[in-house]
Amino acid sequence: MKNKVLMGLAAIAMVAVLSSCGKVPQAEIDAANAAIAAAQTAEANVYVPTEFAAVQDSMNAINAAVEAQKGKLFKKFGPIKEKLTATVTLANKVAADAATKKEEVKAEVTSLMASIKTVLDENKTLITKAPRGKEGAAVLEQIKSDMTAIDASVAEAQGLFDKGTYMDALNKIKAANDKATSINTELKDAIAKVKGAKKK
Amino acid sequence: MKRKLKKSWKIIFGIAITLVVIPLVLFTLIHFVPKPPVGDVEYARLAISQASSNSADIYSKTLFREAKSFYDSAMIYWKRENKKFVYFRNYDSVSRFAAISAKKAEQAMENSRISTTNLKIKLKQKIESLNDISSQIAQMFTSYPLSSNIRNRISGGNMFLKEAEVAYSRGQYLQSNKKMTEAEYLLTDSYQTATNNLKEYFTSYPVWRKWVENAINESRQNRSYSIIVDKYSRKCVVYFSGEKKYVYDVELGKNWVGDKKVKGDHATPEGTYRIVKKFDSNKTKYFKALLLDYPNDNDKAEFRRRIANGQLPPSAKIGGLIEIHGNGGKGIDWTEGCIALSDSEMAVIYKIAREGTPVTIVGSMVDLKQVLD
Repeated sequence: MKNKVLMGLAAIAMVAVLSSCGKVPQAEIDAANAAIAAAQTAEANVYVPTEFAAVQDSMNAINAAVEAQKGKLFKKFGPIKEKLTATVTLANKVAADAATKKEEVKAEVTSLMASIKTVLDENKTLITKAPRGKEGAAVLEQIKSDMTAIDASVAEAQGLFDKGTYMDALNKIKAANDKATSINTELKDAIAKVKGAKKK
Repeated sequence: MKRKLKKSWKIIFGIAITLVVIPLVLFTLIHFVPKPPVGDVEYARLAISQASSNSADIYSKTLFREAKSFYDSAMIYWKRENKKFVYFRNYDSVSRFAAISAKKAEQAMENSRISTTNLKIKLKQKIESLNDISSQIAQMFTSYPLSSNIRNRISGGNMFLKEAEVAYSRGQYLQSNKKMTEAEYLLTDSYQTATNNLKEYFTSYPVWRKWVENAINESRQNRSYSIIVDKYSRKCVVYFSGEKKYVYDVELGKNWVGDKKVKGDHATPEGTYRIVKKFDSNKTKYFKALLLDYPNDNDKAEFRRRIANGQLPPSAKIGGLIEIHGNGGKGIDWTEGCIALSDSEMAVIYKIAREGTPVTIVGSMVDLKQVLD
């Protein structure tokens, strides 16, 4: 009788140990979700979209693995915990990368803003020296109009920059810079041509 | 001894029963636990991940969103089923939602691939065609007096085109497309408006052509000089005996498009005129000058008709003193309606011109098709 009781208790203990050694690692899941949310707040989806998508995918895989374990009679969350720790590390890295990339874009916009101001100022001086030869005046009229459009574009880029949307600001300022530079070249070429002709 | 043997048999029998029953129970316990749809969900997740890598979240937004939504549903159902007692779980809905999610993700990826390729081709073609329009505008209308509104629209269109090119070079095709649409609207609209103005102006071309033919014929028949001014190309062409002898650049009144209507309108008249007086350097401030017989009878008749129609006020004056003179070469249309040449070229014209030399002023010596080509 005593033996039977002991055997029964042993069996119950074994089942209890096997089935309850895995408890859902909720704290780790919450930490991973928080790290991903922090990465999103750092605009990782804008500045490092591929890396951010990889973190999200990794979390999706973990969520599926958790449910898979929950469905088993004997649960085992050890490897999942390790993956969650890795995901937190990855999400933190992605957030840091996003911040770095954002700073890089911001610095690029700031630099372009400064350089375009120099080009625009130079263009304003050059246009007064530009030749008014055949069709020159009409061309200058169009250039003046183009310069007004560039000024408007720079102002828009500044607005986007102030709002913190550096990627959009970058596109705008790059286009404005290209246009301003091409006008600069056009004006310099025209002036050089006239100077060359006078020397002859 | 017999009792002892009996007891041993009982123990052996007990162990044998335990060895058979426990695995049987364990097998039954495990075997009848419903299998979680790990493979289905994994497949859907991978499909979504691949679709995302192929930018389906941007280029096949709706399908991708649906795929994600079905995946979320699968996960919700999975969680719900997992809360039930282990033998009461049913993962059919989970598998079904996961399968739909995977299918939609695959479709989204394919759509994204196709639309990205198509959009890329379309954008490249549009960038080329809009750059063509932009160059055409630059070529055709540099010396044409477009309104500042049209010039601003052209500049705005060119700016958007540049932004579209920048976005394209960075692989941001949707943004590029958006900018392209704005550029296309502004550039094609400006081009259309400017071309329509030009077309309207060139409706007088048959009359101009007749005047030019008459002037050349007269020069041929009389073995004399004839001066033709082509306003659109800013050229003064001198014929002798029906042959082209000189071609010079000219500058006009700043509102040179169209006929002169009234005094002070800064327009250069169109018509057939004669030189009525020559002024050397002592008698003009414009180096040398050739006075035309503007207004002639046709101009006067047209002026009276305009007053009668109410197009001009009764107090309007027809103007006069239209000359071909020097002091040109400024590169802008600056006269009050006269035709200005550089002094050296004016000296040549002055030398060959006589009182009575015909001067024909036309909008263009070539038709619009040639101008547009």
